Parts: sequence; structure tokens; C-alpha cells
Amino acid sequence: MTNLLPFLVTGIVSGSLYGLAGVGLVLTYRTSGVFNFGHGALAAGSAYLFYSLHVTHHVPWPVAAGITLLVFGVAVAWALERLTRSLGDVPEAVVVVATVGLLLGIQGLLWLQYGTSLRPFPDFLPTSGFQISGVTVTYAQVISFLLATASAFGLYGFLRRHRLGVAMRGVVDNPTLLALSAESPRRVRLAAWSIGSVFAALSGILLAPTLGLDATLLTFLVVQAFGACAIGMFSSLPLTYLGGITVGLAASLATKYFSKPPFNGIPPAVPFLVLLVVLLAVPARRFPKRRASLRSLIPEVKPMPRRTAALLTGAGLLALAVVPTVVGTRLPVWIGGLQSMIVFGSLALLVWTSGQISLCHAAFVAVGVTTMSHMTHGLGLPWGVALVLSGLVAVPVGALVAIPAIRLSGLYLALATLGFGVLMQFMFFPTSFMFGKTLQVSAPRPRLAFIDATHDKQFYFLVLAIAVACMVVIVAIATSRLGRLLRAMSETPTMLATHGLGVNVTRLIVFCVSAFFAGIAGALAVSQYGTASTAPYGPVSSLLYIAVLAMCGTRLLRSSILAAALLSVVPGYLTSFDTSRQMFAFGVIAVAATIVIAKREVIAQMITTFNRSSRRARPWAPSPGIVAPRAATGTRVPAGMAR
Amino acid sequence: MSLEIVDVSVHYGGNKAVSNVSLQAPLGRITGLIGPNGAGKTTTFNACSGLLRPTTGTVRLNGHDITHRSPAARARMGLGRTFQRMELVNAMTARMNVALGAECPLVGVNAIRQVFSTGAQRRAVEEATTSALELCGISHLADRTVGTLSTGQRRLIELARTLAGGFRLLLLDEPSSGLAEEETEEFGEILKHLVTERGLGILIVEHDMALVMAVCQYLYVLDFGHLIFEGTPAEVQASELVRAAYLGSEAVEVAVQ
Repeated sequence: MTNLLPFLVTGIVSGSLYGLAGVGLVLTYRTSGVFNFGHGALAAGSAYLFYSLHVTHHVPWPVAAGITLLVFGVAVAWALERLTRSLGDVPEAVVVVATVGLLLGIQGLLWLQYGTSLRPFPDFLPTSGFQISGVTVTYAQVISFLLATASAFGLYGFLRRHRLGVAMRGVVDNPTLLALSAESPRRVRLAAWSIGSVFAALSGILLAPTLGLDATLLTFLVVQAFGACAIGMFSSLPLTYLGGITVGLAASLATKYFSKPPFNGIPPAVPFLVLLVVLLAVPARRFPKRRASLRSLIPEVKPMPRRTAALLTGAGLLALAVVPTVVGTRLPVWIGGLQSMIVFGSLALLVWTSGQISLCHAAFVAVGVTTMSHMTHGLGLPWGVALVLSGLVAVPVGALVAIPAIRLSGLYLALATLGFGVLMQFMFFPTSFMFGKTLQVSAPRPRLAFIDATHDKQFYFLVLAIAVACMVVIVAIATSRLGRLLRAMSETPTMLATHGLGVNVTRLIVFCVSAFFAGIAGALAVSQYGTASTAPYGPVSSLLYIAVLAMCGTRLLRSSILAAALLSVVPGYLTSFDTSRQMFAFGVIAVAATIVIAKREVIAQMITTFNRSSRRARPWAPSPGIVAPRAATGTRVPAGMAR
Repeated sequence: MSLEIVDVSVHYGGNKAVSNVSLQAPLGRITGLIGPNGAGKTTTFNACSGLLRPTTGTVRLNGHDITHRSPAARARMGLGRTFQRMELVNAMTARMNVALGAECPLVGVNAIRQVFSTGAQRRAVEEATTSALELCGISHLADRTVGTLSTGQRRLIELARTLAGGFRLLLLDEPSSGLAEEETEEFGEILKHLVTERGLGILIVEHDMALVMAVCQYLYVLDFGHLIFEGTPAEVQASELVRAAYLGSEAVEVAVQ
């Protein structure tokens, strides 16, 4: 018992802080309908702000804490309420992208400001303490625990008694109705965001002394709150708090029992294990649902005239063919771009065509990377065979992820896939099936009879051929029967099921196809440089993929090409555009992109109005009769009217 | 072939939405299911098409017990349905929406068919789509995007979609809501044609009494989840019980005219 006690104490203390963060997250989710993936990033942000004030500018800690909480409770909350309100009733996938963008943006900003190295965080609370059967419990721990518990239950009690609590429950279901009963929905939401942000900030400040100041660590540790929320079924505040304690205890005990390889990956993955178990075991109807969006994710696609399409494709291919003669030493950047194009193509098929979100796409790529290495260096198979096998081995992994997709959709699928990605990183990457203990694998370039791919130029053309083939297949799928079924599924899976389609088979197929192409891209990536480490395939990369894809629009081919250029080619030319800047820029632009998607009608309306007013100014412009119908078809039926 | 539900009850927690309801919808007949708001009509419908499992009771199609079959399996056995809140793919054209109705039962759970289509399949889908569009009189809308159409036109597309699927028994959930008067009349004519010419069976939930009395050959009346009356439209109109529960004297007079 005595050697268990220290683990119990740390577990309960850290658990109460996870619980506090979780309560804030559930509150904002239930009030605004937006599950904030950036919640942990808020906690990280507050820890850094506190650090700046207290350590850099020598502000006494109570004042520093007060200022930090005030900033988050007022300014940050205001910004978040504004952002989530402007999202309106967009499909859930877009909401997920928005908050993922928030996460990336904040983390990128912190990296830019403070660097990526770990900094010691001052123990501002008293570290002296007392003994319980030989185990020291510090006053800092006691204060943290009491503060977290009092805040969580204080809020619960307050909401039960105060009118605001009822209003908060009402606002997500029907803001208009709430407005009619003389309660401003905006004010209610603002209150929720305010409380949620303060809770996140508080947990960040209190967690930082034990963890040290590291943006990634803090962002993902408060993501432990996800596990807590899952136990609270994303709706109950007290259960979420208890869930936090459970997760904290389980993680702490896991560090005691699973300290040696191959199990030492388990402790950091505990919250996601909890999350996955809850998501897979509890019937999906028990989770709160956002009102289904009536809007289509895909804009009405008017197929391009055949001649224009052929011309554009020809020009594009020609441009890619002359790349090696033009770009000189930057050729590897372009090879990377081609691989990214395959990754984004496979992701776009999943996200835009079928409307299912995946936050673990980098894990599929990683499977391709490691399989390629095992097949070539391990088994000595020919390069081409190994390439195809790399794709095929990723297929069952894709099928595995399709299991949550069958049960869950929207937010919960996003959470489950994120959990899966984290599990892969902590538990499977270090095993010998994947990267092994060194966390690094290697694979050769092909030596074919007709091509010596050790030269970048020849390898480029080989990758170009493979990438074009992959994109042709992906586009063919999207325009074929499966593509039609997928597009219909993104809007109304119920209809397809009641007409006899086995929608689960459809879901399975698209995940398998997507994983296959991601695996191929991974195989090409490791082959290009000869080696690959785990670093580019963690969950943050998956989030980055989604954010970059979202900012490139919701079309399949066009968005994939643009996203590949942005993620792989542009940073190769702008050397100052480093990882921190990329994360910050892509995160911010992704948030902006979701607002553009949300305001598509408004923007279309603005363009129409603009055209009309400019027509009035220029009497020689075409008559309204010709222009107006075209503008009208561009505007979609407003959601409110279709209801 | 007929759809038959026996002693079906559906409970949501402690709330009994439907209690011990039995009804039959054979081929060659338009069967109506009527009742005031909240009587349990849509719940009964969802139990028929498999969107929810009845707490007790059995659902039979063609003599087979399908109570535990999925909606898709029921559809492949010949049971099609439309929705009160229309389930259309707004970003697609009317033709593509209707074609989905033909494709879904064709491919079912067959993974290969979901990905690859043969020329013969494409022609069959094309044919079914064209004839369904014609039958519902919406061929002129075929290439319009569904999201831009009126409610009445969208209702017809839903009907065409179930027709293209070749279902023998159709469950229509409030098909006339949102339709103008003459649109409703046309809709009724189409339904009658389907039953007399094609021998389909239709079970219809409907609020528009004029339509119900005009097209249905047999009616079931639900109130508070209980079946309170069944019989021909004339018998239903004559029933004091139904009048008291639901129709109200005015509505009956209108319907009789």
C-alpha cells in the first residue's frame, strides 16, 4: 500500500485538474454545440501567459494569475463565442476543423514566441507539506485539488440553482426560443465560454509546475480531459469531474505497472484508451447530438466542360514534367509534394466525398512507411512489390478505423480517430512491427532495369507516374457509383439504408481505399530519403493535414493539389516558414476557411449584390435577365428556410 | 405478399408511444394510417421500416419475420419508404437522386457492386430512373439540383426514387404535407395508378383527409398509441368514436364532400 500511495496522490491531484478542464469543455460543448479541440491549447496558452507575467516581468503570482484568468475569461471567451457563433449550422466536420485549426494556431503561436524547448515552471504554491504514512503530500497539491474540486462542484451547484443553468441547457437546442423568453442567447453562450476558458486556464496554470512549460505537452495533456468527458458522456458535469479523477488515477497507476517496454507506451495513452473504450462500448444514441446540419458539405459541383478539363490536366501534367529541369536542387521538395498529393487525395476522398472525418491519417501513412522498410530491407522483396504491399497492409488498419465510423459520426468519429492516432503513436510505433525501439526505419530506392532511381530526376518521374496513377484512380472512384453513394451518404445515410444499401460496407470500403493510398504515399516517402523517423507521423500531423485540406476548399482534385503545394512545396522555398510558422499560419487560415464555408451563402449574396450595384453603375453591362438566374443557382437554399 | 405487424409496442423509456398495434398492408391496396398529432403513426412506420426496434411484437413481410432485420435488409426484400422530413441529396440533380433509389437495392451489401458497375446495370438503372421520373410527371425537372426545388416537387422526387427501386410495398410518410391542393390531387392519381396498374401495396400516413378518403381502401385509426378503429373510409367517417377522438364534425363534413 505504501508504495502505491504516492501514485494515488499524484493521480488524484492531476485527475482533479483534468476533471476541471473536462467540466469546462463539456459546458462549452453543451452550450454552443461546438466541441473545442483547442481546449488544451487554451490551458497551454494560459500557462505561458502566467509564466511571462510572473517569471519574465516579475509580477507577483496572485496578480499574474488574476490577470491571466481575466484575459481568458473575457477576451478569449469573447473571441471564442464570436467564432463559434459565426460557424452557425455548418456540418460537424467543419466545426471539428475550426477548433483543430484553433489548436494548431495557438500551439504554433506559443512555439513562435517561446521556442519549442521545455522550460522549468516555477512552483508558485508552497512545496512544503505533511506526511501520510511516509508519503509527502505538498500544500501545492492540496490547494490544487481543493481549488479544482470546489470550482467544478461550485459550478454544478450554481447551474442547478440559477436561471443561467436552465438557459444554458436551452440555448443549444433552440436559441430562438430562448431569445423569445427574454434571455439573450449570446449572453448565455458568452457566460459558458467565459467559465470554460477560465477553467481551462486554471488547470493549465496548476498543471504547469509539475509538467514544466512545453506547449505540445500541455496541449495534449489537458486533452486528457477528452477521456474525462467521455466518462461524463459529454453531458454530465459531475460525472466528467469524476471521469477526470479516474483518468488521472489510471494514468498514474499505469506508470507504476507499465514502466518497461513494450508496455511503457500505455501510460501516456490511457486517456485515449478510456475515450476509445467509452466511444466503442456505449450505444451512440446516448451521446448528445448536435442538430443535424441541413447543409451539404460539397458545393453543387458543376462539372467542368470536357475541353477545359482536358486542357487544364494537360497543362498541369506538362508543368509537372518540366519541373526537374526548372527547379534545380529543390527537386526533393517537389517529390515530397507529389507524395503529399496522394495523401491529400486519399484524405479528401474520405472527408469531402464521404463526409467522414479522420484525425489519424498520418498513422495510415506511417503504416506504409514501416511496411516498405520491412518488405525491402527486412524480407528483400522487390521495390514494386513492396510498394503495393505497403498500401495493402494499411488496408486492414483502415478497416479497423472503420469500426468506430460504423457506429459514430461527426464529432465522436473525430474523437475516436484522434484517439486511435495517439494510441498508434504511443503503443505501436515503438514496436518491432513498426518503427522499433530506435523509432527509425529505412528503405532503399528502386533499381529497375529501365530506370536508375538513385538519381533524383529519375526518381521524380517514377513518383510522378505513381502519383498521377493514384489520383486518376481516386478521381475515378469519386465519379463512379461508389463516389455517388459516398456523396449521398455524407448527406443522408438513413435514406440509403432504407433503400437497401449496406452503408457499413460503403464506409468500410472508403476507409480501406483511403488507407491504401496513404500507405502508398508513406512507402514513397521513406524510399525517397532512405530513412524515416516517427516525428512526421504523429497525431499533430494528422491535425495539420485536416487543417491544410480544409483551407484549400472542399473539392477533391483541386483541393488535394493545392494542399500538397502548401504543405510540402511552399515551405521548401520559404526556408523561414518553419514548423512553428506553418502551424500558426495553417491553423489560423483553417479557422478562417471554416468561416468562409459557413458564410458561403452570405458571400454569394454579397457577390450578387455587388454585381447588381456595379451593373447599375454601368448601363452597358448585360441585362439583369441574363445574369440573375446564374447568380440565383449559385446561392443555396438558406438552411433556415428549408427547415 | 403483404406487410403485417402483430401486437407491436414501442416504448421510449417509460413513455408508451405505441401499444399493441396490429395492422396489415397487402399488395393491390392503399392502406391508410391516420390519427391526430402524437398518436404514434411515424413511430409505427419506423418500426415497420426498421429504423427502430419494437419493444414487443413482430413485423412480418411476405410471411417472414423481419422484426430483427436491418432497414437495408427489409428494403432488399421489397419494402420502400419516403420520409416526412424529406431525405434528399440536395447537392445532386433530381435524376441522380432517383437513380440512387434504383442503385441502392441493386448493390446492397455487395462490396464489388458498390465499386464497379457493368454496362447492363447502368442501363437498367437509367431505364428505371427515366420511367419513374415519367410516371411521377417530373421528367422536366430531371437535371435540376434538388436543393433548389419546391416542397411539392421534392415530394415527387422522393416518390420517384422509391419507384425506381422497384419496391413492391411502399410506406409513405405524410407525402402531401407542403403540397398545394391540385398537386395533392395529382399525387393521389399517381398513387391510384401505382396500385391498379402495377399492383403495388401502399401504406400511407396522412393528415390531408380529402386525400385519405379519396385514395385509401382501408383505414387504421391511431390515438394515443392505441388502435381505436379500423375499416373502410365510409365506416371510419360514420364512426362516432373516430369523430370524437380525431376528426371533429367539420373535418368529416369536408371529407364527405
